Amino acid sequence: MAHLTNIDYLLMLVYFAVVLGIGWTLRRSTKTSTDFFLSGRSIPSWVAGLAFISANLGAQEVIGMGASGAKYGIATAHFYWIGAIPAMVFVGLFMMPFYYGSRARSVPEYLKLRFDEKTRSLNAITFAVMTIMSSGISMYAMGKLFNLLLGWSFHVSMIVAALIVLAYIFLGGLTSAIYNEVLQFFLIVFGFAPLVFLGLRAAGGWPGLKTKLAEVSVGRGFEAGAMTHAWRYMGDSSQNPIGVEWFGLAMGLGFVLSFGYWCTDFLVVQRAMASENMAAARRTPLIAAIPKVFFPFLVILPGMIALAVDWHSPGAGGSLAIAGGQGIVPPKIDPATGAALLDRAGHIVLDYDLSVPMMLIRFFPAGMLGLGLTALLASFMSGMAGNVTAFNTVWTYDIYQSHIKKGASDEHYLWMGRAATVFGIVLSIAAAYVANSFNNILDLLQLVFAFVNAPLFATFALGMFWKRTTGHAAFIGLLSGTVAAAIHHGISLAAGATPGVKGGYFGAHIIYRSELGQTFWTAIAAWVTCFVITILVSLVTRARPEEELRGLVYSLTPRPSEGDVVWYQRPKVIAVIVLAIALALNIIFF
Amino acid sequence: MSGAARFDIRIPIGGLFLLLGFVLAIYGITTKSDTALYVRSDGIVINLWWGLVMIVFGGVMLYFGRRAKERPLHSPAGEETEIREHVTGLEK
Repeated sequence: MAHLTNIDYLLMLVYFAVVLGIGWTLRRSTKTSTDFFLSGRSIPSWVAGLAFISANLGAQEVIGMGASGAKYGIATAHFYWIGAIPAMVFVGLFMMPFYYGSRARSVPEYLKLRFDEKTRSLNAITFAVMTIMSSGISMYAMGKLFNLLLGWSFHVSMIVAALIVLAYIFLGGLTSAIYNEVLQFFLIVFGFAPLVFLGLRAAGGWPGLKTKLAEVSVGRGFEAGAMTHAWRYMGDSSQNPIGVEWFGLAMGLGFVLSFGYWCTDFLVVQRAMASENMAAARRTPLIAAIPKVFFPFLVILPGMIALAVDWHSPGAGGSLAIAGGQGIVPPKIDPATGAALLDRAGHIVLDYDLSVPMMLIRFFPAGMLGLGLTALLASFMSGMAGNVTAFNTVWTYDIYQSHIKKGASDEHYLWMGRAATVFGIVLSIAAAYVANSFNNILDLLQLVFAFVNAPLFATFALGMFWKRTTGHAAFIGLLSGTVAAAIHHGISLAAGATPGVKGGYFGAHIIYRSELGQTFWTAIAAWVTCFVITILVSLVTRARPEEELRGLVYSLTPRPSEGDVVWYQRPKVIAVIVLAIALALNIIFF
Repeated sequence: MSGAARFDIRIPIGGLFLLLGFVLAIYGITTKSDTALYVRSDGIVINLWWGLVMIVFGGVMLYFGRRAKERPLHSPAGEETEIREHVTGLEK
């Protein structure tokens, strides 16, 4: 366990004070529901852009990407270089004109305008439940982590963080969330950049890291370069640690999952919708993509470095430096026996989720440790705030206003938004406690959401680019995509897994080399099914008249002008630059 | 629709980084010769150096934040979108 000194607590307090101060100052400019839910549509694009990535920069990203770095190596960067980046460019160039231009106030509301009420409600309800669950899971993870690292009380650390988030959103709404996300973005960058610097220095730079990871890679039964090359070993799923071949990766992760998340998830799209005008809305995800393309160095590298360095002196890791780990990544402990967990083959199972926290403790002295932990707290809070602001908007506009109370005054909806913030946070805390006592229930729910989300991009792509798509088709397509995901998951299993939550409940007919491989192919099955069924049903149902679809469908909407702005602010120019950088990185780390 | 104009986000960011940077740097100066403390960072007085980097960043943010004109609370384009919302009855 690490011990914090007064200097560390001082740094944390300064951060909390500024965060709350922002909410307090913004309360005076939050007068209407549009102010509260959409920031009065007045956010400049660089602010919206940084908030766009920060809202996603929750615990799952910082802890999870580091964990994947330690597990899979540099190939984890595929989540960015063929995943997030192309999807962010696509949503900025091609989809934002409809989101922003359609006057919709949320993603479900776009579905209402384009299709019908039932498609919107399906999306709104699953999305609302999902945001609560994910903010609950993220809180749970935070409480656990700070308990393990610092001995803080699980309950107190979780509830204090939740109350701070509640306070600043309650006061300043989306603007407050966005402003704080931008602040958190810089804090995360400044908290983790020195970690990468010190870590790389200790590991002997990139060449030194490569040499050390070659040993790790061989020890795990792969070629020496398997953890330091992103593409070279993607030809066959047995040759790379991810356990997937290039097609499943490019199609499942790159196309279906990443486009499904970055192009349709209101959590991120909301930030762009808050922009001051169409050009700024389109620039938002493109500006976000510029730092995003370099994020692997910030969040994945620490996990890789954790395998290649040691504690500076024997016993320095204290109770956390447990025998049987690799580098400074400790083994997973069996809570019943207190000994390291073994897998079926008798190998020690590593607790990859501790890679990044261990790096903080290994490399940061008092002072910097406070900053690093503040950055970690900031990432938890920005993730939570992203979920809560998306939840209160979808609840108020898409569920409350459209089903429970229509035509009330604007003050009433503003009040409801604040109330939704409070009960959204209370529900998240409840979800965190559920996660604490019944781990499997949340695993199960997350699985169901994965099924619901996988087909979404097919519905949006058809809705936006094919005017013949009908509401009935969208609804049936979404449902059948979800069913297809469940069926595929039910007949497949990752090697070594036991049937149940991990799949195989209809018999393990298809065996994948890894869970990620199974996930990618489940997504592909869902997407293809939704795509085909939506087209078929559209052809036999009556299309909406064209004049109703203006501004909602590509062929019936005038192309947005690139605007009379300087060349480097034009969406297409930024898009080309970002894609070129991503391509270059793919080649450098091939 | 009234209310105070919103502040520029670069101002609190600049303020926070200046504050954090000064705390770190001063702590770094006072602990400079404490070799036991800096074993973890392999001998680099990281508190001092990173504190200075944060001070510079905070100063730059504050400078640009204060130089920029106060942003209006509602931009004309955003306002127009809002009006269209009322006209098309989206809120009903």
